[in-house]
Amino acid sequence: MRRALARHRGALLLFGAAALTPIVVRDAYFLDSLVLILLWGSLSAAWNVAGGYAGQVSIGHAAFFGIGAYSAALAGARWQQSPWLGMLAGIALSLVAGAAIGYLSNRLRGPYFALSTIAFSQVLLIVASRWRGFTSGSEGIPVPFRPGFATLGLGHVAWAYLALAVALLYWGIQLWLERSRFGYRLAGVREDEDAAQALGIPARRLKVIAVTVSAALTSVCGTLWAQYVGFVDPFYVFSVDLSIRFALNAIIGGVGTALGPFLGSILITSLETYLRATLSGVQSGFTGIYLIVYGTMLILVVRFFPAGLAGLAARLRARRAGAHG
Amino acid sequence: MLALERLTKRFGGLTAVREVSLEVRAGDLLGIIGPNGAGKTTLFNVIAGYYRPDEGRVVFDGRDVTGRPAHEIARLGLTRTFQIVKPFGNLSVLDNVMIGGLTRLPSTRAARADAERVIEVCGLGLHAAARARALPLALRKRLEVARALATRPRLLLLDEVMSGLNPTELVAMIDLVRRLHADGLTLIVIEHIMAAMMRLAQRIVMLHHGEKLAEGTPREIAADRRVIDAYLGEEFVLAEA
Repeated sequence: MRRALARHRGALLLFGAAALTPIVVRDAYFLDSLVLILLWGSLSAAWNVAGGYAGQVSIGHAAFFGIGAYSAALAGARWQQSPWLGMLAGIALSLVAGAAIGYLSNRLRGPYFALSTIAFSQVLLIVASRWRGFTSGSEGIPVPFRPGFATLGLGHVAWAYLALAVALLYWGIQLWLERSRFGYRLAGVREDEDAAQALGIPARRLKVIAVTVSAALTSVCGTLWAQYVGFVDPFYVFSVDLSIRFALNAIIGGVGTALGPFLGSILITSLETYLRATLSGVQSGFTGIYLIVYGTMLILVVRFFPAGLAGLAARLRARRAGAHG
Repeated sequence: MLALERLTKRFGGLTAVREVSLEVRAGDLLGIIGPNGAGKTTLFNVIAGYYRPDEGRVVFDGRDVTGRPAHEIARLGLTRTFQIVKPFGNLSVLDNVMIGGLTRLPSTRAARADAERVIEVCGLGLHAAARARALPLALRKRLEVARALATRPRLLLLDEVMSGLNPTELVAMIDLVRRLHADGLTLIVIEHIMAAMMRLAQRIVMLHHGEKLAEGTPREIAADRRVIDAYLGEEFVLAEA
């Protein structure tokens, strides 16, 4: 037990702080940041299942995010159904779409796979923005707010705890991927598919499963996000920007580590909020500055800490242990 | 245990393996030699399910496994190593071997305990925690063998596990292969190093331009005129081996 606590000190600190924040702070702006940090972190964790643990780097995960967002929005706005039902529909659709994309990963490797995922998300963008009769097209859909847990109309504090629960669940799923039989075999597939097959591992099937699960997890967060923000805009939910964000958080935080996506999200989300607030007013003329900052950070991380913040932390810990012993 | 029936594999206009037939019985240690490009590795790829042959059949334990995917063939007990080693580079040596064991063991705990034993047998005990990609070539070759062994194959195909080793490492590898054979493992070994092959193999098959040119005991092969002309270049002096 103590060893387990020591091993997950970082996670304990992070999620513990997240759990205490709503008790201490009642500031809506601050709580909003907390919800977004946890949601973006969970989304990156979902991406990490495919991109990190299975090595199937996708730049089209916004597709699944959008599917989840639209499923909930349409369920509420068009059919007056509970967003939870929409979430289930989104999961079902994402499972199918994820399996299709996962199957593609057997034909297309590396950059070709990444490109095909972009194409997929762009196709969905076109469908969502042109199919006026069904999706309201490029106007987007306002998500009806009806108070209550069953309708996901929650206050800031409840949202913070819901997002925390999802974050913990996704963190746990990643931990399982590090410890379990499935996870080890998946790591083998990621490292070398041919060698994995020689060891009796059905590499293709494992990749498809990983991408499919990743898609479903992404979709769930898409639903939550739509309910939280209250509006679904096709050009945002299916954007490549968003897909890159999922990947970026994980890469900066540490690809293929359970805590990495959340560390990355803390950094990127708070930085973005800060930059938005201080620099990007119309008068200041710095509207696109965050892109430059992202780019610079990405280059620095990949060059100097390829294992991300999580890797950096591990290195510092090892050095300290070395100095003591 | 393994029967190849007139196997042919073409790549476009090139026939890499042409009508090769072979028989391997349980307990055999068969050597395959031949110049570069003779089709040795292609033959392994066809046997182990990486390439589908254009003609012919692969029969393993009485079961036709022609064209079955590699992972299924591996599960049946036929696995291979790679000439260009393919370690799971970012994982530890122990994890590499453990992943092999997970094919037949349901729990990571059991697979880890088993991997520790396999690593000892292969002389990698000191390196269990090392990252696979950090190992020198000789140890990575051993890791290839260890990982394959963890699946408990009944037939193991070794693709040049001795090339690139220095004399000391070579002796250790020969010793390892011998021990595995003595423990009852059936092996097919591709090797360029004739001296090693002469000491190891009970039977040798010589491939040339994808065809089986000769088959016999090491002594017969070394004296075979066609083998000397095509491969050895000069008469191989057995005493050296």
